[in-house]
Amino acid sequence: MRTTADDGSVEQVTPGHPWLLAVVAMIGVGLMVAPLVFGMFSKAPEGAVMISAFKPYMTVSRLDGYQDELSVIDAGVHQTDTSVARSLDPASGGRQEFDAAYPDFASFDRQWPAIDSKMTGLMDQVQANLGNYLAVAALPSFRLFPWFFVIPGALVAAVAIAALLRPSLWGAVRWVLVVLGISLVAAPVAFQMFGRAPDGGRMMTAFKSIETTGNVEQIQGYFGSMAVGQGAIRLDIVPALEAEGLSQAQVAAQFPAVARLDADWVHILNDMTPMIGTMSDNVVNYQAVASLPPFPLFPWFFVIPGVLVTGLALAAGVRRPGAEGEPDADAELSSNQPSVTKGAS
Amino acid sequence: MIRRTLVPLALGATLTTLLLAGPAGATAPHALRGTFKLSAGSCADGGVTGSWFRMVYPGGTVANGKFFANPDSQCTANTTYTLVVPGTQGGLVTGSYQSDPSPAFNSQGGALADNIIEPQSFTGIDFSVATDKVDPQTNEQVPAPSIKQSGANLTGQVTAWSAAWNKLYFNQGSPKPGGSYPGLTQKVSGTYNSKTHAFVLTWASAVVGGPFNGFTGVWHLAGTFVAKR
Repeated sequence: MRTTADDGSVEQVTPGHPWLLAVVAMIGVGLMVAPLVFGMFSKAPEGAVMISAFKPYMTVSRLDGYQDELSVIDAGVHQTDTSVARSLDPASGGRQEFDAAYPDFASFDRQWPAIDSKMTGLMDQVQANLGNYLAVAALPSFRLFPWFFVIPGALVAAVAIAALLRPSLWGAVRWVLVVLGISLVAAPVAFQMFGRAPDGGRMMTAFKSIETTGNVEQIQGYFGSMAVGQGAIRLDIVPALEAEGLSQAQVAAQFPAVARLDADWVHILNDMTPMIGTMSDNVVNYQAVASLPPFPLFPWFFVIPGVLVTGLALAAGVRRPGAEGEPDADAELSSNQPSVTKGAS
Repeated sequence: MIRRTLVPLALGATLTTLLLAGPAGATAPHALRGTFKLSAGSCADGGVTGSWFRMVYPGGTVANGKFFANPDSQCTANTTYTLVVPGTQGGLVTGSYQSDPSPAFNSQGGALADNIIEPQSFTGIDFSVATDKVDPQTNEQVPAPSIKQSGANLTGQVTAWSAAWNKLYFNQGSPKPGGSYPGLTQKVSGTYNSKTHAFVLTWASAVVGGPFNGFTGVWHLAGTFVAKR
């Protein structure tokens, strides 16, 4: 930086501690390479795909809808298991002959409590993390994350290296480094990362048991069981009730839960199947994101380098060419007047 | 001198031609262009004949399952077989596409394509198949189906074979778009009777992606081939 001294000559400042600038440059390079080290260029976009894929399902109404659908299935199964069975098989109190006559339903009926428990628990878990998901979704796109490191890192490194190569630039670029450092500190605050990143961490923890191939295959298996069970109700048991002399309206009146399950089944399939598909399709994406450093650390990946860059840029101080003694690190801060050296213009 | 040179050359050429032609009676593979008209699937006396489809659970095998039970199957003795009924064009056309209609689904998610097969109920929702130039699941360009006959054997590719169900698409081709054979995917194979034109075509195709990811569709098409005129 050139400035005018009291005697009218143009003065330049240089770094008081150039080695601190070398450290700043290394921090900048570190920020640049961090996304490469963590594989963020491939993993972060997968996270963006996952967040985007779940978006249609992660609403209060949609999640409530899934819980309602599970309740509809549960009520239909329970009613078939009790009053329908008694109606079709009064002699045995509604069990032995009924089970023998409708083995597909009987088989599903035995599996249902476990299926219901698992599916309801899963939906509870997802619902409990709706806020966490929304917090993560409100962050800038994951696709941009690597660049949040690379761009400031490149700027910091470039400025520091420039000042090392041309110390006469120091007076000006010192403040550029300070601004870059402060920006790094401010970015997580601006994006509310201190709140959202831990929310994301909680979501990732909750989804750890959901987004696995084993879990998805188990749910696929449940889907097969539910299809068989509902098929038995729709194609065997309700027709049997009608064969006993009940009209469709009477079946609906006497066994409303069964009728509702039948009526809602296609809608349930329409609603649940794509969700299972999304869960399945995003196992790999989840695992990619999960292999990144823990979410709660991310704000600190900006704050710590930011503080260091700011602190080191200030601590590097200024020196007059040819001056003896300790460089003046604080003069500019205290007086807003660069500590200058007289130099040739 | 010339005769001495030409005679061995002629003999050599003849021998080479005979060797390349292969054993007597064998014919070079040639494409069967036309319609593989399907015989409807039928289920009686514990056996299944005609054309059908099954779906293997993840972890199963094509030979032994475990197979997905379709409660709507017309084969009540074994609901893991979903019977196929020929569509308006009678079956699979080679050398051209039999595309999904637009819209491809009704309001309930039932598939509307009916050229190759009639839509069949699968767990309460109709499914069907089509062959589109751009595979609707992967959005990749795929070739029109082609089947080759070599003697009594059939080979080929049905990469474009796509199942539609519940407003979703599942590529069920072999090989898959891009030419791979993931999971339990098996090459198209079959038999052909040149006199009666009766054929059987089979293949297996892993579902890649979506709610049935990891499942494998097993296709068995039988019927009579009618050449394109």
